[in-house]
Amino acid sequence: MAERRRRKKPEAGVGEITAHERMRPTSKAGARGVVLFLIVAAAALIGCVGRIANLSLIHGEEYRQKAERQQLSVTTLDASRGTIYDANMNVLAQSASVWMCFVNPSKITDKNRADVLDVLCDCLDLDRETLITELDENSKLGYYKIKGKIEYAEKTALLDRVREIRKEKHNDIDSVIFVDPDTKRYYPGGTLASNVLGFTGVDGDGLYGIESYYEKILRGTSGRIVTARDGVQFEMENAYEVTYEAQQGTDLVLTLNSELQTILRSALEDAYHETQAKKVYGIIQDTKTGAILAVSGLPDFDPNDPYTVQYPELETYFATYGTAEEKADPHVAAQYEQWKAKAIADFYFPGSVYKVFLVAGALEEGVIDENTGYHCTGTITVGPRTIKDYYTTGHGDETPCTLLVNSCNCFSVNVGLQMGTELYYKYFQGFGFTDRTGIDMSGEGTPAVNVTYHDPAVSFTTSDLASASFGQSIAVTPLQVVTAVSALGNGGKLMQPYIVSKQIDGDGNVLSYTEPVVKRQVVSEKTADTVRGWMTQVVSDGTGKNARPAGYSVAGKTGTSEKLGSGDGVYIASFAGFAPADDPRISVVIVIDEPRGDEYSGGAIAAPVAREVFEKALNYLGVEPSYSEKELQEMSVPMEDLIGGTVSTVRERLEGAGYTVRVVGDGAAVSAQVPEAGRQIPKNGVVVLYSQGYTEAEQVAVPDFTGMTVSQASKEAAAAGVNLKISGNSSGDGSFVVYKQDVDAGEMIDAGTTVAVAFRTVDGVHD
Amino acid sequence: MAVAARSGKKRLRSLLQGINVRKYIEARGGLFARGSIDPIFFTLLVALVVVGLAMLYSATYVYAYYYENSSTYYLKKQLFAVVLGFILMFAVSHINYRILTHVAAVAGTLVSWVLIGIALLMPDYNGTRRYIYGVPIVGQFQPSDVAKFALILTLAAILGENHDKIASKKPLQGRLAKLVNRICRRPVINESFLVIVPAGIILLVYAGLVALQSHLSGTVLMLLIGIVLLVLSEARWGWFALGGIGGGAAVFAAAKLGLLKSYMQERVTAWLDKDYDPYGKRWQINNALNAVGSGGFFGKGFSRSTMKHLYVSEPQNDMIFSIVVEELGVFGAACIILLFVLMIWRGVSIAIKSRDRYGALVVMGVVFQVGLQMILNILVATDSLPNTGISLPFFSYGGTAILVLLVEMGVVLSVSRTANVRKRL
Repeated sequence: MAERRRRKKPEAGVGEITAHERMRPTSKAGARGVVLFLIVAAAALIGCVGRIANLSLIHGEEYRQKAERQQLSVTTLDASRGTIYDANMNVLAQSASVWMCFVNPSKITDKNRADVLDVLCDCLDLDRETLITELDENSKLGYYKIKGKIEYAEKTALLDRVREIRKEKHNDIDSVIFVDPDTKRYYPGGTLASNVLGFTGVDGDGLYGIESYYEKILRGTSGRIVTARDGVQFEMENAYEVTYEAQQGTDLVLTLNSELQTILRSALEDAYHETQAKKVYGIIQDTKTGAILAVSGLPDFDPNDPYTVQYPELETYFATYGTAEEKADPHVAAQYEQWKAKAIADFYFPGSVYKVFLVAGALEEGVIDENTGYHCTGTITVGPRTIKDYYTTGHGDETPCTLLVNSCNCFSVNVGLQMGTELYYKYFQGFGFTDRTGIDMSGEGTPAVNVTYHDPAVSFTTSDLASASFGQSIAVTPLQVVTAVSALGNGGKLMQPYIVSKQIDGDGNVLSYTEPVVKRQVVSEKTADTVRGWMTQVVSDGTGKNARPAGYSVAGKTGTSEKLGSGDGVYIASFAGFAPADDPRISVVIVIDEPRGDEYSGGAIAAPVAREVFEKALNYLGVEPSYSEKELQEMSVPMEDLIGGTVSTVRERLEGAGYTVRVVGDGAAVSAQVPEAGRQIPKNGVVVLYSQGYTEAEQVAVPDFTGMTVSQASKEAAAAGVNLKISGNSSGDGSFVVYKQDVDAGEMIDAGTTVAVAFRTVDGVHD
Repeated sequence: MAVAARSGKKRLRSLLQGINVRKYIEARGGLFARGSIDPIFFTLLVALVVVGLAMLYSATYVYAYYYENSSTYYLKKQLFAVVLGFILMFAVSHINYRILTHVAAVAGTLVSWVLIGIALLMPDYNGTRRYIYGVPIVGQFQPSDVAKFALILTLAAILGENHDKIASKKPLQGRLAKLVNRICRRPVINESFLVIVPAGIILLVYAGLVALQSHLSGTVLMLLIGIVLLVLSEARWGWFALGGIGGGAAVFAAAKLGLLKSYMQERVTAWLDKDYDPYGKRWQINNALNAVGSGGFFGKGFSRSTMKHLYVSEPQNDMIFSIVVEELGVFGAACIILLFVLMIWRGVSIAIKSRDRYGALVVMGVVFQVGLQMILNILVATDSLPNTGISLPFFSYGGTAILVLLVEMGVVLSVSRTANVRKRL
């Protein structure tokens, strides 16, 4: 073949070039071809290879890291967060399983797009426009989170819809929409213990309160899965995967008692609205152990919905009285204020409440004794300053006991000056006002010298000493005050307050238990008991009269301080004390910051709140009350069952027992009664008997009891046909009058219904 | 009517007799090419095809599985085109290329212009009209692939068959020509006009049609092929100076008049500003850079790329070389580039030993087309040029592209049969 081909070699034909014309490397065209080749070869071998080598060898590390960052993915396995229980094992905070929805935007096609949007918008309640933008922006990704914290019902509905559409249209919608487990924190009590608990942020981290302080313990250790992921965030096949298991969070049991917390918070909330104060705080502490039983500071928030400002008043306050910054954004200022655990964070001037600590120190040091006398003229001069009492006429001859009962400033200054700064400071420090109490909650206020207190080693002038003697110019937190007051109630031991009683695991095994800690013996038991006796007299005879509930003895001290730098007439009213006075079980502090009414003294507005708290709390705790003769008379008794009796007989018998009786209808037998059997009725109350023939319950208008004494109110109630439930100190003189009633005047109610009225006095309670 | 038809038939018959097909074929050396194909060129070609297929599979199986539910989706289609292409290549290599000269030029030009025309009527895809859709078997089809080949054949025919005129300085006799020549006192307007001007017009029509498709890289490649062929046909440098001035003025005018489309401007912006739109316009190139950069000297090993796991989008197309570098490293990439360079060198050798200018121009046109495409593709994949859609010959996925490429190779092999390089070099 080859031979033949060679033989048949053609002669030059049409268009064929002759041998000499052929392109050779030396010919012009051939030379141009070689040059072009050299250019192309140089571009390829030097240009392209050089560029690749530059990227891959010189800058390689940079690109390798970029690629790795893109590809390595860490998935967090959330440990379920520990539950928080109150002292009675009621759930205060709990994490529950919820779901989160994510989509694979790269799998959205023209065919399933409309359905994807419909399902997501309908089932998850999303805004269509926003969703479209989000999906468009992330259309290249394989993973995009749409919504978290989806409840079970919502998740089920979503998946059912997806399955249905998949079945009907076969449009791969189930490769676009997915759900994964997620967790959500629930606070069944809502606002109840919000200041204590704090809340969890969007990423599940604890913010404020116990959620923050015990973050590490509650959170547990979250696990991780480290994998290599592909460009659409799915796991790369054949890639490695390492799993670290999650460790569940620990549960906490608090000393906090939901019942007591409810009592405290509702009393504070009433006071907050009545006094239109900026803030109100209260704490109930176990006097002997220092355990916190209830703590609240209003305005607070709902940890289920922490970003909503719960009390619009707070926003209004910042818009009106705030600093320039707060005025610019009162909403944010209000958010931060409502989240703060104010009762442990905020400093205030304790005012006359501090006198109990001053007197205790002076007594302990022998500066005064029980019989030390002082004549009060209503003023005392310290250097260039003249200090006045509220009662400028003077209290006359006084003992340390009447110093407290009258809340005498002049005598206090006198005692303070006798002690001197060193001794004053010794007890200021001794009662724990120069340190944080060390409570296991986030956000406790930190005392600072020259800011919240004076230290003789730094600067403590006589003028400062005079003010400090009656609780001005020194700032303390409500928690410090209640802890220090507890020391006077428990024989002189300063306790470390605490709120978590034990940590338990998921099976209920106790992992750790909090033992009460005695920080120190501040004063001797004798001194403490003496001061406790005087404090009892403050409530029975002095400025603390309004703090005494029927049937219980209370020891305490009122305080009214002027807020400096906030303009004139801005006060803080407070009360601190414990009960029962002879064997204290609970200590209470109530602080009302910037009340906006005629009454602003601690004795007039804070003491009644304390009284309400003491009355309900001691009752709840099962402390046996002992009533005076007069109190017994005003006591309510359970109503007997009268139905079926003859109207005339029943009427005669009840009237004989002191009741006021009304009869509605003209039948012979009693068919219905108000109050119903078993309900409470005062001993001289009103009973309405209904007999056959009546059509509807008799309606009466509630009278306005405000300002009436007990006897006036009782008469008025009988005349109007309603019953009274008396609370507050009604045992005293005629100065005790009604200051609030639970049904508004003028409202129409069934005759015989009970209306609760509270009494207080505004005489002799100012300090 | 009947008379007119009869006389028309008669006229056609006499015309055909005048052409005398048999005589034409015989004069050009017969219908079939004799001699054996160049084994070195063929070996290089097979090496590139095999490596190309292997890399196409490696780069695309993840992507194909994710988007097409079959990891061999691209490989299968490409393999089919390659097998078909090899059959066509052998067939073409047996045909005497010299009988193609005029027929191929006219037919190729007509066919490719019509195809581009059809593509221009097709629905718009991302602002371009590069494809004809709904073609049986291949599905979609890019006419510019055919047009590149047709342009080479056409220009080679015009320039190769009229070499004496290109070199001639004999003045033209038209009135205007005489006037100009008298003014210049030199034969400025000479016989070379009769070749270069029609060739230039045809080149501009080709480039213009591709430009109408909004296919910038195709247009640039067309012009580069034309320039290469003009250079090789020994056109005088003055023509290139003239073309350079004209082209520069045209680009300047287009820019001034705002004819440059916004997508072109955006691509340039995305190229200059490395932080531009990282999840949009620069997503693909950033990931390609990560892939190239992760390669190192010897690469991660065949099939071990991680960037192909859906990071580098469309790894079957223009960015395939980034996966090649990631897997085979700088060393492997350099070897592949060397294969291309050797192939061009062998093509140039074949051309130099070719029996006629037409064959030489076709072969060099084809190998320089491959070389230019390779260089432009790699420069784009390494972010050295703005991202224009230019594919890597033998590697990038595309049925018609590889089919046309292998037919081009068939022509080269056909030329190599008579050039008989082995004997002379």
